[in-house]
Amino acid sequence: MRRWRAWLLNRFVVVPVVLALIVLGWNIYVSLHAHGVIAGEVVDASGRPVAGATVTLYHLNFITEVKTGETRTNGQGRFRFTDNNSHLIELQAAAGGATSPRVTVRLWFRAQDRDLASPLTLHGLAPAS
Amino acid sequence: MIRGGMWRRRRTRQAAVAVCFLAPSLALFFLYRILPLFWNVALSVERWSPLRPTRWAGLYYYQDMLSSDTFWLTLENTMIFIASAIPAIALALVIALLVNSDLRGAAVYRTIFFLSYPLMSVAVAIIWQWMFEQKAGLINYVLLSLGVISQPIPFLGSFDWALPAVIIANTWQVLGFYMIILLAGLQNIPPHLYEAARIDGVPALARLWRITLPLLKPSIFLAAIIGILNSFSCFDLVYVMTHGGPGHATEILITYIYKAGFEESRFDYAAALTVVQFLVLMALTILANRAAGGNAGAVE
Amino acid sequence: MIRGRRSVVLLRHLVLVLLSAAMLVPFYWVLKTSITDENIFAYPPHLLPTDPNLFSYVDVWYLIPFPRFLWNSVVVSLLAIAGNLVLNALAGYALTRNFPGQRFATLLLLSCMMIPFQATIIPAYLITAKLGLLNSYLGLALPLLSTIICIFVFKASFEAVPRSLVEAARIDGLGDLRILWRVMLPLSRAAIGTNVILAFTWSWNNFLWPLIITRTVSMQTLPLGLANFLSYMENTTSALYAFVVMVLAPGIAVFLMAQKEFIRGLTSGAAKG
Repeated sequence: MRRWRAWLLNRFVVVPVVLALIVLGWNIYVSLHAHGVIAGEVVDASGRPVAGATVTLYHLNFITEVKTGETRTNGQGRFRFTDNNSHLIELQAAAGGATSPRVTVRLWFRAQDRDLASPLTLHGLAPAS
Repeated sequence: MIRGGMWRRRRTRQAAVAVCFLAPSLALFFLYRILPLFWNVALSVERWSPLRPTRWAGLYYYQDMLSSDTFWLTLENTMIFIASAIPAIALALVIALLVNSDLRGAAVYRTIFFLSYPLMSVAVAIIWQWMFEQKAGLINYVLLSLGVISQPIPFLGSFDWALPAVIIANTWQVLGFYMIILLAGLQNIPPHLYEAARIDGVPALARLWRITLPLLKPSIFLAAIIGILNSFSCFDLVYVMTHGGPGHATEILITYIYKAGFEESRFDYAAALTVVQFLVLMALTILANRAAGGNAGAVE
Repeated sequence: MIRGRRSVVLLRHLVLVLLSAAMLVPFYWVLKTSITDENIFAYPPHLLPTDPNLFSYVDVWYLIPFPRFLWNSVVVSLLAIAGNLVLNALAGYALTRNFPGQRFATLLLLSCMMIPFQATIIPAYLITAKLGLLNSYLGLALPLLSTIICIFVFKASFEAVPRSLVEAARIDGLGDLRILWRVMLPLSRAAIGTNVILAFTWSWNNFLWPLIITRTVSMQTLPLGLANFLSYMENTTSALYAFVVMVLAPGIAVFLMAQKEFIRGLTSGAAKG
């Protein structure tokens, strides 16, 4: 029994085992949180939610960007993408001729669910009458 | 002692077993060391082409080589590379002397200095390429801040500075190896020699000159051999850092061989270059052995 | 007298610290570049990372076939380690036995050590092509399956095993293979460690041979992948430096775990040649 313990506590066994456990734990975490959901809000310059704005999703790599999705905001100005499978995306909102600045979202793993912290702001949008 | 049939049978069986055990390794070395050595010579005297059968070329490629300016530049670069091992070994000696003692934390220092050796040379090349970057590199920034230069130097793009830059990167990587060899040699010197000298009142510098250095000759010789081999095998660093450029300013023999063989598909010329490279290596090793007083610098 | 000695010690530490800092600066610089968010070509370069983030590492993992390169490197290294252990132990054991031709074999191996790999690349390529092993794991690992330094490491270790044990085993009727496995190897753990670490390091860092042998991106190993990334992306993005850090990390980790064996292998092997 003692020989097995000495063998197990050897650094050549402990280090790979610890690494394997970390990798396993990370993979479990990823599989629980990777549904590809990107949600956020579109507001105008004064902070009021904008309904019916078009939000475009781009996938980026080192050189190019590819438009991969488009959706519209609902009555509360919120939008939701459900099939994102990239880790590096850009979002842009547009409504009534005004467009928001491009927002880059960097995720920790592909298809990570993310609720945007700050809304996409449409400057220069004429206030709804 | 049992003589006769049984003993002889046992001896042959022993020999058979030993040969069997050695066979895989020997086959591998035959295939990848000995055979290539001779095949190189064969390749270098034939006109090789993937499309046509080979034809005899005699010493054509050797003449081609000796009349090519690029070859002489390459040879010169390789020699400069080898010469740069001398200050590197001296620096490693200083570090080894400093680290070799019951200094606290000596093991940490040793690890720090040796850390650069087991690294991937491709990664080291990229690291140093970034350090020598003209605009955002640390070296230019430090030199400019210290006022040593007034304009950033395009190190890896300049004909004068590219080779020194590559040599500095290579020295950074190999320094640890020299240090380890010298350290092992230092620790083999029996301490009673120092004790006797100290009792006799010999000052520290003379102790260094009279005791340490002569007894370190084998280690220094070993480090020199490593330095020579290093200049012949430094492919990764040069290829990734400068690709032999600008022009052929940092071309060393091995990158020249690789380019001739695998980028220009001139296997015959490359084989001739390889033969010459091997001969130069042998000559340098023998010269170094002579300079160290024969017998790999061993001391009586 | 004592004060003089203390100031000498302090001076030694000072010089060593300065030299160590100089040796470590490139590591820091690359690490800093890999976690900085700004345009890396901004002048003057900042000495500390601005907006440190780890997203460059995520980019490297997904946008480059890094997992594939890592897998290839691991497979080739495992092949090299396994081959080295088996072949070198066998050869080292054979060299400790007295048989006609033992001295010749030893001399042959020593002289093979003088032939550097760089002097063999073209015929080695032709041979591997003839064997049909281009662009394959076995082809990548084949020249690395046995190294002469490691054979002599095993030989020295086996010669240190007390003869009485070997004689006892032989009287018990054990064959050579069993003697190797049961008697010699368990007492040669240090030599095994040295073999493993040297074989791993040489195969992990190998660049020239994969460069010559691989034909497709899917068979490239880490050093090759890194060099290719550099060649088509230049150094425009901090992802390159994240790639460098990710490539160096396993090498450094393994080295730190097995420092003693590594250094012992190099000094003893180098002394032989």
